[in-house]
Amino acid sequence: MSFFYDVLVETGGTLFRFAPLPQKTGWIKIGNPDENSPVFLTCNFRLTVSRVKRALKGLDGYLLIANSRGINVWCAATGGLLTNHDVISVLKTSGIEKMVNHRRVILPQLAATGIETQVIQKKTDWKVLWGPVYAKEIPEFILKNFHKTSQMRQVSFPFSQRLEMALAWAFPMSAAAAALAFFLWKSAVLPLVLLIWVIAFLIFGAFPIYRRFLHPEGKRIGFIIFDFGRGGFQLLLLAFFLLGVSVYAYYWRELTGAFLLRWGVASLIVILTISLDLMGSTPVFKSGLHEDRLLKITLDREKCLGAAFCETVCPMNCFEIDFLKRKASIPDAEKCVQCGACIVQCPFDALYFRSPNNEMIPPEAIRRFKLNLMGKRLVKV
Amino acid sequence: MSTYVLMKILESSASRYDWGIRFLTFGRLNAIYDDLVSYVNKGQHVLDLGCGTGALTLRAARKGAFLKGIDVNAEMLEIARKRVEAENLANRVVLSEMGVAELDGEPAESYDIVMSGLCFSELTEDERVYSLKQIRRILKAEGLFLMADEIVPENWAERIFVQVIRIPLVLLTYLLTQTTTHPLKNPADQIKSEGFSIEASQRSFPGDFIRIVARKI
Repeated sequence: MSFFYDVLVETGGTLFRFAPLPQKTGWIKIGNPDENSPVFLTCNFRLTVSRVKRALKGLDGYLLIANSRGINVWCAATGGLLTNHDVISVLKTSGIEKMVNHRRVILPQLAATGIETQVIQKKTDWKVLWGPVYAKEIPEFILKNFHKTSQMRQVSFPFSQRLEMALAWAFPMSAAAAALAFFLWKSAVLPLVLLIWVIAFLIFGAFPIYRRFLHPEGKRIGFIIFDFGRGGFQLLLLAFFLLGVSVYAYYWRELTGAFLLRWGVASLIVILTISLDLMGSTPVFKSGLHEDRLLKITLDREKCLGAAFCETVCPMNCFEIDFLKRKASIPDAEKCVQCGACIVQCPFDALYFRSPNNEMIPPEAIRRFKLNLMGKRLVKV
Repeated sequence: MSTYVLMKILESSASRYDWGIRFLTFGRLNAIYDDLVSYVNKGQHVLDLGCGTGALTLRAARKGAFLKGIDVNAEMLEIARKRVEAENLANRVVLSEMGVAELDGEPAESYDIVMSGLCFSELTEDERVYSLKQIRRILKAEGLFLMADEIVPENWAERIFVQVIRIPLVLLTYLLTQTTTHPLKNPADQIKSEGFSIEASQRSFPGDFIRIVARKI
């Protein structure tokens, strides 16, 4: 029963990855917890909850499901849909306080862009502990007595996740294209679907090859359409496709200009659509559509007292802490994905963003105004 | 009207919320809010849950009541604050960014009226149960709970009618904001089971909106 449910959630959740998939909030048991068992918190995206439950198999504890409007932790926290209020609410209204006699909750690290430890601790009796990025690391995190290794803090884009993104693009896009072609160009339905799936898998599969050519710091602020300044990768992919189409036409049917043109245009559209926000489709770059990608993380060394929250929540391991001098530094600042988690968490307001024209964006703005879909901080009133 | 789902688009830009909601509800919401506030009297202490840009708060404050408005959306509250100042009601209105989970900080039996417009449908089930218990605690003896919210119609014909209008709007809202509203099922029963008597409960055509007046017993 639960196996089939898992399969259903995994399939549905992956194919419609871009749509929210909410589930009931509250707490659920993992294994056989007692009043001393650890309390974990996650979002109410059904796919996430199902994966966290599997990752925690073998442990005893409680899993709190906070209202993130059916969206994954990172996007919801950064977009203002998983907030302090949602965490406070699930801690106080779910009844978890009657189930355990401690007040320590483990939050997913990626929620640090939207959840402020200090606010939670001020408004409730609960103490917040930042867990690993990925739920599968939780068992080891507990074995290590709640110590996070740098690997547990690091966001990555392994093959399995790239496959997921390819599916998330290919499925709805091919369904829409097939429905459209059914009326306009019936004979093209199957080849079109195939084309979309092949291109999606090529684009995400080849990510490690072209990753170093991506330009997060494109010159213009605002809407840049393509992540490759000179469109190099798309052209290469298109050439590759046209070659394939020609070879196919040469051997199996008559090679005509019209045939090449039709499929050339079709594959160009598919390539451009999927790579429209290529960087935003990966967790290791800021979206190319977001203005925030141009911001530079800056440390005020005077204010810093080496609390190391920045190091704990940074998903790219940009920070280093000198515990003797009690100061942080950012040796790997160029790896920053502008998530803002370190700024939100710093208890001394020692971190902030600097815009390309040297304006300072203060911590209050990052805490208060979240990103909307287009990557703009929601209007300041 | 089922157009309440479009609120979500408006909420994503708080400054457009007010004209948008007027447009979407053809002014109907205004009439419902006016009616709800007719229960508020001068000098009473009133709590507005999910006050947003202050639609209910301002109405009640104009009648001379003392208001506390709470909301989790800081931007909407900022607009409410400006409107309160513009009408010189700041001495009677307190606005606070807090969620219903923090109602346990309010003193017991301290309000004559608790009201909420389009807020309960935004809450999770746990939050609704918790809020009702807290509302009962902070209301004075025989205090009133006033609610106006989106509901699922009881009658199947109305449900189909509402869904036909609603589905395209839900899709559009989903696409633009990745969120939706969750109309309530039988709020009156839930309120009753938490120790209130229902004084008045009025559905509006086509049965997708309800106005409830409940008294603490």
